[in-house]
Amino acid sequence: MRFKNLLIIIFICSVGTRVAAQTWIVPDDQKAVVAPVKFTPDMQKQGEQLYSKNCQSCHGNMGKDNWAKLTPPPGDLAKDKAQKQTDGEIFYRITTGKIPMPEFRNILSEDERWSLIAFMRSFNPKYVQPNPVAKAAFTGRIVTLAMQYSDPMKKVLVTATEQLKDGQKGLASGVEVMLFVKRYFGKMQVGDIKTTNAKGEAAFEFPADLPGNKEGYVELTATVNDPKSVMMTTPANANLAIGVPTDKPSLTATRAWWSTRANAPVWILLTYTLSVLIVWGFIGYIVMSILRIKKLSKGDA
Amino acid sequence: MTMDDNKLTIDKITADLTHHIRINKGFLLWMGFLTVSLLICLYAYSLQLRNGLGVAGIRDFVTWGMYLSNFVFFVAASLIGMLISAVLGLIGMKWLTPITRIAETIAVAFAAVAGLVIVSDMGRPERLAYVFIYGRPQSPILWDVTVITTYFVLSLLLLFLPMIADMAIIHRKVASLPSWLKPIYKTLSLNFTDQPEQNKIISRSIRILLILLIPAALSIHTVTSWLFAVTSRAGWDSTVFGPYFVSGAFVAGSAAVIIAMYFFRKNYKLQDYLTDLHFNNMGKVLATVSLVYLYFNINEFLVPGYKLKRADAVHLQELFAGKDALMFWLVQIGGLILPILFLLFRRFRKPGPVLLISIAVLIGAWFKRYLIVIPTQEHPFLPIQHVPANFMHYSPTLIETLISVAPFILVLIIITLISKFFPVIPLHETAVEKGIDHIKFD
Ligand code: HEC
Repeated sequence: MRFKNLLIIIFICSVGTRVAAQTWIVPDDQKAVVAPVKFTPDMQKQGEQLYSKNCQSCHGNMGKDNWAKLTPPPGDLAKDKAQKQTDGEIFYRITTGKIPMPEFRNILSEDERWSLIAFMRSFNPKYVQPNPVAKAAFTGRIVTLAMQYSDPMKKVLVTATEQLKDGQKGLASGVEVMLFVKRYFGKMQVGDIKTTNAKGEAAFEFPADLPGNKEGYVELTATVNDPKSVMMTTPANANLAIGVPTDKPSLTATRAWWSTRANAPVWILLTYTLSVLIVWGFIGYIVMSILRIKKLSKGDA
Repeated sequence: MTMDDNKLTIDKITADLTHHIRINKGFLLWMGFLTVSLLICLYAYSLQLRNGLGVAGIRDFVTWGMYLSNFVFFVAASLIGMLISAVLGLIGMKWLTPITRIAETIAVAFAAVAGLVIVSDMGRPERLAYVFIYGRPQSPILWDVTVITTYFVLSLLLLFLPMIADMAIIHRKVASLPSWLKPIYKTLSLNFTDQPEQNKIISRSIRILLILLIPAALSIHTVTSWLFAVTSRAGWDSTVFGPYFVSGAFVAGSAAVIIAMYFFRKNYKLQDYLTDLHFNNMGKVLATVSLVYLYFNINEFLVPGYKLKRADAVHLQELFAGKDALMFWLVQIGGLILPILFLLFRRFRKPGPVLLISIAVLIGAWFKRYLIVIPTQEHPFLPIQHVPANFMHYSPTLIETLISVAPFILVLIIITLISKFFPVIPLHETAVEKGIDHIKFD
């Protein structure tokens, strides 16, 4: 039975790698996408900086064919294989990524991604930019979150405001909000998703036993739950003294196996030193005795 | 026994055991061959020094390759000195006398070279001293360096002490001794004149060394096993790794001793001293330690194989029926089970057959270390993603292989030199055992 499971796992893995090795197809409507503005030297400059920060570690220097040895190979973006593609194709690839290339959707803004393409194109003398098409204005909700601790309620209060069509600001009701607290690795969600009420408020109970730093501060983030990305949202961050003050020494601050040399457990130091001293003491004694053998024969000779 | 008999016998024993101490053509040819081979391997090492560890097949998955399995093998082979001299010697097995020096020579040679093998795995060998300067006393690596150094010094002393009397005899009695060797012998004999005081010092020192040797030897191979066992990985995460390694070491070492016995007996014409009885008995020793080792092997594979935790399952699958299966079964059957079965019969414990069996066992022992060290690393718990295929699977390169051959050549050189310029069989002890109680030192 186990053996069969193993075979299944191996099968899935081998199929999995094959799927990953498939070609990277860009949908037709994405291929046709063009930049919203004409590329400028300023954009190319910004693109160059972005490139050296985000792309060069894998793709190498433009035109130098010195990309990182990965599978599939990243390739040189100044060369034909990349340059023959439409702006839309390249934009799509930067946006979505494909393992091992990261997805830059949430790392670089659309403008920044276009700057990168402007930079890439500066290495292609044959390139002629198609006429820009300005982006249609955004029509979804534009929501901004704020957060504070309400002492009377003993709750974390998240308030959502939104930009109204007439340019005024209003309270945003019916927005789904999530609250997170930072921990050692990543974030932990506090409570469930809450929907803002008519006053644009969502209140979260904060657990009484969560540890904070020495002064009890915890780092909180509130975000809008918008899986389909139909809104434009700004999360709220706050540093609130609502955790249990905790002063845990770092893992290497005390004597332990895993600690630094200066913090080796005493019993290890003793055992090691004593063993070495005793054994080498005997070795020294034997060497001295051997030297005595020589002296002993003098009287005889 | 009359005075004349006495004189005759000691002269004959001395002649028998020392006639090989001279520089002849065979020796020069053999050393020339070893030197040229060593130079080729050193050239390979110079390439590694210049271009870095990348010239070897070790990559991000398998960082401990052939160098490390070689290291484990060398430490293992050196353990035999402790089994023969200390354990069996302290029990009082008299037949061992002619074998003790062979065992100690092997121990010294392998222990001395084991340290160098580790250096071959270092990308920046000039930073070796950092192990001591920055070493953490919590780390088995520091313990390993410490115990191997200690074991080497203990073995060297144990090789030297019984030789003092031998050298005193030889530089007086052996006329054919090359003239340049005479002063060396005289110095090393420490003016030994068979004084009761001198004998007392020697025998007491040997006793202390034998007792120290047991914990030191157990430590070196137990600590070497901990380099693996303290790591939580399929195939290494085991509580019996210490005794598993120690018993495996005795198997490799016994085989090495038998092979050495055979060649010394033939080349140095020692048939009267290394008799069929010695081969028969060493065959029994080899069978016994192999049985113990088999027992630990069963534990090592049956227990995780019964539970079949996921990572163990992948690992065992590769060993039993996957990529490493051929090597695994050749090693287990050809290097362990068949030798045990053959050695049960007296006729296979004669010098010729037991030599062949020992060669099979020793080759198996080397590949066994390979199987312990490498496959585990090919199945990490968190595989690195999207790396070139040659990062995931290990195959040694030619340069790496040559660098791994170098330590064997060095061991052969050390054993050759020691055995060529000193009696292979303890001279004084043999004489005393044959009833020659007073040897004239004047
Ligand atoms: C972690 C390494 C890595 C980083 C960082 C990276 N890429 Fe890539 N990129 C790759 C790999 C690998 C491929 C090839 C993927 C494939 O062919 O399946 C690739 C492919 C591409 C392609 C398609 C090339 C072609 O010839 O089809 C473009 C365009 C591209 N990357 C742009 C970028 C840009 C712009 C950045 C920086 C914002 C970037 N990449 C950052 C690894 C990376």
